Formats: sequence, C-alpha cells, structure tokens
Amino acid sequence: MANRLKSQDKPRGMRKILIPLHVKLIFPSVFVLGLVILYPLVSSLVLSLFNYELTRPDEMKLSVLKNYGMMIDDDVFWLSLKNTLVFTGVSVGVSLIVGLIGAITLDQLPKRLAGLRGVILVPWLIPGVIVGFLFMLIFDVQVGVANVILERAGIIKTFLPWLMDDQLAEIAVIIANIWNQVPFYILMFTAGLKAIPAETKEAAIVEGAGRWQEFVHVTLPHLRGILIITSLLMVIRNFNNFPLIYTMTGGGPVYSTTTFVIYIYRLAFEQFNIGYASAVGVVWCLVLLGLSSLYIKVLTKQDSL
Amino acid sequence: MFRRRLSLGWAAFVWGSVAIIMIWTLFPIFWMLSTSFKTNLDVFKMPPEIWPSHPTLENYIGLASGINPIPRFFFNSFLTALLTVVLTIVLATFAGYALSRLKFRFRDQILVSVLVTQMFPLVVMLAPLYLLYVKAHLLNTYLGMVIAFTSFALPFGIWMIKGFIDSVPVEVEQAAMVDGCSRMQAMRLVVLPLITPGIVATGIFAFLDAWNNLLFPLTLTNEIAMKTLPAGMVMAFSGQFKSDWSGMMAASFITTLPVLIIFILLQRYLVEGLTGGAVKG
Repeated sequence: MANRLKSQDKPRGMRKILIPLHVKLIFPSVFVLGLVILYPLVSSLVLSLFNYELTRPDEMKLSVLKNYGMMIDDDVFWLSLKNTLVFTGVSVGVSLIVGLIGAITLDQLPKRLAGLRGVILVPWLIPGVIVGFLFMLIFDVQVGVANVILERAGIIKTFLPWLMDDQLAEIAVIIANIWNQVPFYILMFTAGLKAIPAETKEAAIVEGAGRWQEFVHVTLPHLRGILIITSLLMVIRNFNNFPLIYTMTGGGPVYSTTTFVIYIYRLAFEQFNIGYASAVGVVWCLVLLGLSSLYIKVLTKQDSL
Repeated sequence: MFRRRLSLGWAAFVWGSVAIIMIWTLFPIFWMLSTSFKTNLDVFKMPPEIWPSHPTLENYIGLASGINPIPRFFFNSFLTALLTVVLTIVLATFAGYALSRLKFRFRDQILVSVLVTQMFPLVVMLAPLYLLYVKAHLLNTYLGMVIAFTSFALPFGIWMIKGFIDSVPVEVEQAAMVDGCSRMQAMRLVVLPLITPGIVATGIFAFLDAWNNLLFPLTLTNEIAMKTLPAGMVMAFSGQFKSDWSGMMAASFITTLPVLIIFILLQRYLVEGLTGGAVKG
C-alpha cells in the first residue's frame, strides 16, 4: 500500500520504472529457483511426451503415451519401486527406534558428558559419497572388517560377498544409510524431549509412574508431532537418496539396489534414453508432491498449535 | 524437583545403549583414519590390523602427486562452496526479509512453493538442466555450479531467515525509520545484527550442501579439472584404483575434515538451525 501511494506523487513518466520493493527483493531467488528447478521440471514433463534419445537427437518424435505405457511392462521399473520402498521403509523404521532410544538414553547422561551428543552427530555430516566409500571398504569381501567382526562373533562361518550378492548388497546399503542418518533422528528427538515441560514429568513421577509408563503416557504423546514430521521428512529424503547408493554399489549387482533415483540416472546418463527417464521422473515427482504436501500440512498444523 | 531412586536395571540400560551407540558411531570413522595411515600392503592383511603397524603418511602425500588432481578437486570444492555461501546468504536475506515484512499478493503461495522445490529429486532435473547449460555456455564453469548449488541451499535459507526476521519486533525497525533511516538502512543497521545466528546457520548449510553435492558436478562438468571432490573422487577411485583403499580413505578424510572443523567451531548455530524449524517449545 505504502509503495503505491508514494508512486502516485511522482511524475507520470517515472511510474513505469518503479518496481515494487518486494519484487526487487524476491526476484533474484525466484530466478535461481526457476532456472535450476522449475524450468527443468517443466521441461521433463515435456520431454516425457517425446521419444528422445540423447544419441539420436534428430529423431525426436512426439509419442504422447508411449513412455508412460512402457513402465507397465518394465520389470526394472517395478523392481526399483520395490527397492525404493524396502530401502526407505527399513531405513526409516530402524532409525526411528534407534534414534528414540539414543535420544532418551543420551538425555539421561550427566551434564559434563553432554559433549558426547555432539560427537554422535558426526556421521550425519559426512558427505554421502564418503559414507559410500567407507562402507564399501567395510563390507569388501577381501579386506572388509564386517566379515571379520561377524565371524569372530560366531554369526557367520565363511566370509560373505556382501556387495556382490543381491540381498546382501541391499542389506549393506541400508546399514550404511542407517549409520549415516541416525544422528539426525537423535538430534530431532533430543530437541523434542527438551520441550516436554518439567512439571509434566514430575507429576508422572509423583503419581508413581514407572519408566515405561512415563515413556508411554508422557514422552510418546509429547513427541508425536516431531515423530511424524521427522518420519515424513526422512521418507522424502530417502526416496531421493542418490550419492550413497551410487558410490557403494552403483545400483548393482545388476539392478538389485537400484532405487527410483538411481534408475532415472541410469536411464538418462547410461542409456541416454531421456524421454523414458523423464517419464519415470515425472511419475516419481507426483509421488513426492503428494508426500510433501502432506508434510507441509502437518508442519503448518503443528505451527498453529 | 522430584527424582526417582536410582534403579540398577535402568542405569545398565542407559549406559549400555550409550556405549553401543558410541561404538557404532565412532568405529567407522576410526576405521577410515586407521586405514588412511596404513601402507597399501598392510590393508590387505587378514585379520586386519586395528592400529597400523607401519603408520605412514604416504597416502596423504600421494594425493598431491597422483594421477588424479585431488588438490584441484579440493580447490574447486572450496571455491564453489564459498561462493555458494555468499550468494545464498545475500539472496535468502533479501527474499526472507520481503516474505517476512512486506505484504503482497501470492506471498503465502511463494513461501510454500519454495519449500516444495526442496522435495523433488535432483536427478529429474539433470537432463534438461544439462541441455540448458550447454546452450547457455555454463557447462564446466564455476558460475554454473554455484547457481546450481545455490538453488538447493536457498529454500532452507529463505525459510530460516524469514523465521529469524519474524522474531525481531517490528517496533525496533520502525524506531530506526522514525530516526531517519530508509527501510533498507533500517534492515542493514538494525535487523541484520539481530539475525546473525540465522545467517550463520544458513551459511553453514549452504556450505555443506555445496560441499556434499555429487550429482551437479557429476553431470554439469565433463572436464576433470572442473570437478569438485565428490564427483572427482567417484571418478578417481574407479576401475584400476578401486582397491587403492588407503588412498581412498586418505582422500575421504581430507574431504571430511573441513566439515568437521566447521562443525566443531559452529556447532551451536548448526543445532539451532536444524531443530528450530520443527520444534516449537
């Protein structure tokens, strides 16, 4: 309002070049986001309607539903869906439980040991590529220390070829992922625990509640919001997790650890089938759009409380 | 303050799980360090040595003189990450201020869309972005990479800084404007100093985002000399170098070190920034 009133005082010729302050302030950000995110998304949508291969750019043909129809008969598409759900489901499920136990027990430590909580965060800061390298070494069939530890503990008798076997590779990737992200859960839950009013806890103790009862009736209900938000956020993040899997297995052996994002990458940059890669990408974006609107709804609801 | 009497079972549970979590967290990091100081021969010993029996710096020295230009990757990473920090802070402060203080149409829609952009998989954008970068001559340029990195750090930064400006009372700013400051002066002189923690947190996350990003340098550069560490390392330790474990771990540690230093120095801002958005006390 203020801007508009002011601009009317100026001579007519000047009014045209007056750009409102908010436009000037927001435009640079919108430009960058538009260029790197919005334009490619829209462009993907368009490309997904074409039969477009990077190796044969001249033979770009419109074939509206061909790419989308291909998915139904594409076994790798369904395998990637399964892999994505297993990878995300197990990672998030286990990390939630470990994170909750971690947050609660670390919260009990005396103040002078609070520094330990900082140390716990470190795996989360390590770049995904490095986590991939590190666990590639740990699970290596020749030199890997995982086999040695498991053998000493009597769990396995012979060394396992972790990254060369379909199921073992999946397990190894998930373990590395859990190592990488448990700190984030601990951090979020610790913050949530701090927000529980001391009086509520004391009231529970005065009324004779045991540790378990306190956990079920006081801690969990208070953490509900943060549990939901953290899970949703991490489901979205894991759906998009690329560097860890890419460095550790490259999606292999064959396609056994190929999740959606890895499949899209392999389609586009190993098979140069841009049209089909875009179509799979569009489907995946729709799924994520649904999830993120749910996330935003929960987040804003929490805010208004 | 009411307290429970100490129970032995509970104490065992607490200390037991803390111990397990600490070992689980630290062992892989220790293993990275330990391997990076082993000779390439000792890496293949079975059972593996916990402490290197012939500790050596040759892997670290080898990084500087090997076939792969790791120092160059490091320089590229550092330069692009720093530029990303600057660009993100400037853009996010402008946008965050407008979204917090000014009233205009589509404000709420812009805020939500900004958040949604963060949720899409980067992979989907790569092919069109690559084609665009070829046309715009941004392939193999620092500018191209910095713009790409910034787009990923920006949404979080805008929300973060908007949140911090929201918590500064409008009266403080109005007082400055009554005293003769323009709106922008009031922002620079009065608001900015009050939101320093938000700016620092935004900067840290922008740095980490750029430093850790694999996909952009992997596809938006095809000259080795322009790769940043993650993409450069994926190339460097493939094929015949795949079992250069000690060299790989030395490079990994070098890549992790800046992140650790930032974390140790700025931990407070980092934790505040991470949990601030999701937890309301």
